[in-house]
Amino acid sequence: MDMLTLSHIAKCFGEKQVLRDVSFSVPEHTVFGFVGKNGAGKTTAMKLILGLLAGDGGEIFVNGIPVHYGNTATNRFVGYLPDVPEFYPYMTPAEYLRFCGEISGMPAKEIKARCEELLCLVGLEKENGRIKGFSRGMKQRLGVAQALFGRPKLLICDEPTSALDPEGRKELLDILVDAKEETTVLFSTHILSDVEHICDEIAFLHDGRIVLQGSLEEVRTIKRAAATELELERSEDAQMIASFFPCLKPISRNSLLLEDAECLPDILRFLADKRIPILRIERREASLEELFMEVVRT
Amino acid sequence: MRAFLKKEWMELCRTGRLLILLLVFALFGIMSPALAKLTPWLMETLSDSLADTGLVTTAVTVDAMTSWAQFYKNIPVGIIIFILISSGSFTTEYQKGTWIPVVTKGLSRRTIVLAKALMIFAVWTALYLLCFGITYGYNAYFWDNGIAEHLFFAAVLTWLFGVWVIAFLVFFSVISRSGTQVLLGVGGVAVGVYLLSLFPKLSTFLPVKLIDGMSLLQGGNYPVDYYVSIAAAGLMIFLCMILAVVFFDKKRL
Repeated sequence: MDMLTLSHIAKCFGEKQVLRDVSFSVPEHTVFGFVGKNGAGKTTAMKLILGLLAGDGGEIFVNGIPVHYGNTATNRFVGYLPDVPEFYPYMTPAEYLRFCGEISGMPAKEIKARCEELLCLVGLEKENGRIKGFSRGMKQRLGVAQALFGRPKLLICDEPTSALDPEGRKELLDILVDAKEETTVLFSTHILSDVEHICDEIAFLHDGRIVLQGSLEEVRTIKRAAATELELERSEDAQMIASFFPCLKPISRNSLLLEDAECLPDILRFLADKRIPILRIERREASLEELFMEVVRT
Repeated sequence: MRAFLKKEWMELCRTGRLLILLLVFALFGIMSPALAKLTPWLMETLSDSLADTGLVTTAVTVDAMTSWAQFYKNIPVGIIIFILISSGSFTTEYQKGTWIPVVTKGLSRRTIVLAKALMIFAVWTALYLLCFGITYGYNAYFWDNGIAEHLFFAAVLTWLFGVWVIAFLVFFSVISRSGTQVLLGVGGVAVGVYLLSLFPKLSTFLPVKLIDGMSLLQGGNYPVDYYVSIAAAGLMIFLCMILAVVFFDKKRL
């Protein structure tokens, strides 16, 4: 079953059309990466899902129930981590989490247990000071804890890793992967290595539209076949082979790139016949960066 | 609702707002009888210098009424301070985005706006009781409150005036984005209504009449003279709250 469905969503701010026709679905228990440049409309789309903005067209369903702007009943299924989370500075993290539990109507016993569990999970269990003195990374951790607090069916994170140091980033990504067991994760980012690490499915948002969508493998194969890189010991050999085979493109002094896999056997035969010393032959996967750049350029 | 009220209470205590308000209202409560008590002594010490300028002072007699007159002069200042301190109650939450996690946990917007309003009304009531209680106690100790007519009815009227101003505070807090806009809105309404009340024909219908408690105490007015303005204030409070709830449902946070 799909936990989240967006169909033909449009949104403009005054003259500016931010989302034109955005449609995608997020199946249950997946980590869904929502990728796009800064200003592509990722946050806007997320705010529409949360009923924090009124859409100009299309429909959104969370857990099969339509989302309405204003009093958004579907939010009881959702946990949300904003890009810059802000909390009441006069509370301690434990007090804030207790407050979160109380407003969602959780029994007091469960609140206490959940508080301890989540503070440990995000590494804030020893922080007894008020949130006032927290760094952005610490607020981000508390943000994760509050988003997960009510065991949401859908966890929405807006660029959760952008404020964190490498260690914190790794920890956060691990938390999101673990969360997949219990929930469905939609997270936006422009850090493509994060997507490669944890996402099951991705959607690229560009110019107000979804330009590419599918599982990580699908997306890779849709756009480009893998290329082969050939590195030789001597640069003269590289030049010589390149002049024989026009399909080979020089990429540095002694390495060549082959995009058309058809010629590979001929080239290998040629290398063997001439006894040309080779350093390396490697099949290269198209990286998400390249895909992204290609998508954004078109 | 309870959780949100608890949070509001924590905010009042820990940000120091409650302490400031308590000090101000306690001070106003003490000031009225203290000034009344000090007046004869002040006149006496000044009499020599006044005599030099040709003014002759006679013995001044003070009673509970002098103190109550001072009380009714102080209370409007108290209301202004209360409004100034409470004007950021909603708008800081919009500006900082602290409501986003709350709303996205499914807490209904009505609960939020009603809990906030309820807390402001409750704090006003408590502070007013404190201020009134202190003045009442001193007055009873030094003089006799018996000379003031309709003492409690007049006190309730002034309290209602405060509630009326706060209802506008809540309404403007919902539709504005900054504390300054809230103050301009509430100030605008207060000044507007005050100017309208300068027309004798209108003054009976306007809530401004509610702070004229002294006329009741001195016997110039009777409770019945206030019924229309009580109804007008009640209606406006009700409308402000309804509109606040309606607009808050559609507010972009």
